[in-house]
Amino acid sequence: MFPSIMRVLVVDNGGQWTHREWRVLRDLGVDSEIVPNSTPLENIKADGLVLSGGAPRVGLDREKMGKCGEYIDKAGFPILGICAGHQFMATHMGGKAAPSKVPEFGKTLITIDDPDDLFQGLPDTLVAWESHNDEVTELPPDFVALAHSDNCSIQAMKHTSRPLYGLQFHPEVENTDNGYEMFQAFIDICEASRKKA
Amino acid sequence: MFDPQEFIEQQIMKLREEVKGKAVIAASGGVDSTVCAALVGKAIGDRLLAVYVDTGFMRKGENENVSEMLRRLGVNHKLVDASDEYFDALKGVTEPETKRKIIGEKFIRIFEREAKKSGAEYLVQGTIAPDWIESGGGMRDIIKSHHNVGGLPKDLNLKLVEPLRDLYKDEVRKVARALKIEVAERQPFPGPALAIRVMGEPTREAVAIAREACAIVEEEIEKASAAGKMKLPWQYFAVLLPVKSVGVQGDIRAYGYTIAVRAVDSVDAMTAVYSKIPHDVLEQISIRITNKMKDKVNRIVYDITHKPPATIEWE
Repeated sequence: MFPSIMRVLVVDNGGQWTHREWRVLRDLGVDSEIVPNSTPLENIKADGLVLSGGAPRVGLDREKMGKCGEYIDKAGFPILGICAGHQFMATHMGGKAAPSKVPEFGKTLITIDDPDDLFQGLPDTLVAWESHNDEVTELPPDFVALAHSDNCSIQAMKHTSRPLYGLQFHPEVENTDNGYEMFQAFIDICEASRKKA
Repeated sequence: MFDPQEFIEQQIMKLREEVKGKAVIAASGGVDSTVCAALVGKAIGDRLLAVYVDTGFMRKGENENVSEMLRRLGVNHKLVDASDEYFDALKGVTEPETKRKIIGEKFIRIFEREAKKSGAEYLVQGTIAPDWIESGGGMRDIIKSHHNVGGLPKDLNLKLVEPLRDLYKDEVRKVARALKIEVAERQPFPGPALAIRVMGEPTREAVAIAREACAIVEEEIEKASAAGKMKLPWQYFAVLLPVKSVGVQGDIRAYGYTIAVRAVDSVDAMTAVYSKIPHDVLEQISIRITNKMKDKVNRIVYDITHKPPATIEWE
């Protein structure tokens, strides 16, 4: 039997670019759908999840992140948190997020410190587009940082044994260099994880 | 990847199913609504009426150009002059969201009126993804109320048809090219038009200044681009600022307003970078606007902000 098409859903936390995440996944040939963050986990049939960014300030209104915590704890398949999704993942897993000393809006230069599986084959420094008031200030246990910028030391992180990833910047927008490649890398991670399961 | 041909076939089939009676389409002459008019026209033929509203905030020559274009497109169409209504409704209004809401609601009331006259039950709009994303709702913050989303009243008595809701402009342009739509490459011009390119109350006088300045910006940039001096930006226009400064014109003190020139490059309007326009093009724009506007405008500035943190338009 041929394997069915990969299915990666986008959990909507109210971001301006949630629909862009859906579009990139669709452009990469993945079956995708945007679902509200109140969707019960048992209704999510997927090989991976993207937790979108959004207006909620993770430190102030955590309840607006809906069931994101449950997905991280119980889903089992790979999860990529972006912006608020990334900050929420960090705090949920025991790290800290707080208002940025210097928030970043728009064009920012990112340095990749560890290409790991997400940034494999990409340049060491690249232009990424940002839009955040808060950031991860302390990694959760068992997470490592993968990238930084001048004003934000944790631009990307991953769990050392579980398939959990977080990005402060936005790979889904047109102006971020190599964004499609990062999404493809995440899809590959989802595919590898499905084969193992 | 997005396949325009497949999209066109699917949408025509869907529209035939969905639109059973007559429909009016809100037509601005831009790429989104023109693509919609072509798609719906293919699906329901003569049962479609395109309604173009002259709000009084249109650019130079726009009313004539759009009417001609709709005629060539071959859809039934009608021009409604509502400029007095709009200027009246915006008297004393300065807050950008209030402007947008008033303009949006007025559009809908006019379409309802026209629908009633023609016996239509459906309203077709060329709403695309950034329109509803930026208009907020649910947990999404309101960045700005797009006129075709934020102006929709709760008691709308027409059935809304929006075939392009999930597309971005670059995808709409692909559909437009596949349909051989002549305005496929036209720069975006949001519905609230020059009313949001005048900071503060959009009076007839202020709108006339913004109109003239926009025309000069368009002419100079298009000329430079045709001459190979620069790439045509995604969107390029002028904004009238309520800021006065001191100048000297003909040995006389001048105290006039400021025009901001804005030009950006983008793919989908969700992010944008300001255009690196050559200085001699900016210089020409500056000279022409200040000479033309005499003592009304004596200072021109260029906006060098990306989106985010800014948005493309100023309001």
